[in-house]
Amino acid sequence: MKPVTPPGPEARARLRLLAERQLSPEEVRAALAQPLGGAEEEESRSLIRWFRRRYPTAATRLAYARRAYRRWRAATPPE
Amino acid sequence: MRGSEFDEAEFFRAIAESEARALLIGRRALVALGIPVLTADYDFWLHIDDMTAFNTAVEPQGLFPTHTPDEARGKGRYVLENDERVDVLVARTVPTVDGVRVAFDDVWGRRRALDIAVGVAVAVPALDDLILTKRFGGRPKDFEDIRLLEALRKEDA
Repeated sequence: MKPVTPPGPEARARLRLLAERQLSPEEVRAALAQPLGGAEEEESRSLIRWFRRRYPTAATRLAYARRAYRRWRAATPPE
Repeated sequence: MRGSEFDEAEFFRAIAESEARALLIGRRALVALGIPVLTADYDFWLHIDDMTAFNTAVEPQGLFPTHTPDEARGKGRYVLENDERVDVLVARTVPTVDGVRVAFDDVWGRRRALDIAVGVAVAVPALDDLILTKRFGGRPKDFEDIRLLEALRKEDA
């Protein structure tokens, strides 16, 4: 299996720009008009059910988020 | 203070005991409600008159404001930071990207309390209000979060 090469700093910067960009008013209206349903809804609800079952309190969910962020930081190449 | 030494329960306890009118918003609020999303910081919407109480409460956690309360009033937001980062919104009203004006006092009046530890609760906006706060930003990820919040609403219906 070919090892995955993490994206370089330039690619990460481009991705960040895309994720952080301000949507236009037309894009906002389109996003808000899109109804939730189908596979997206079921996948999201399934994820929420798992998370609440595994971490039944706000405190355990918040602790999970801190661990997950530390793992993500450790796996992300430095800038 | 190093990030690993940050005591999250103590952080929320100090905020609760300060009696500052502080609403946890942003992705950390989504996590607390039951949506697993990645986040680096804490976002609060704070009553504009409660900055000093809030700042004093979190100072023992090594968090210091980037701006004085007077400067923050002018900007409508400030940051508390060290190894952790806390973004604080202090505007009395904030418009969404599609033009809805959202008032802190209204959102505070409809808040929910989430228990964090024994005797410690954090205030979060009601679900509809949390969705409105996600419309302050207008970034693609804010609208992804709105869809997750809509899924949460259906799950809880």
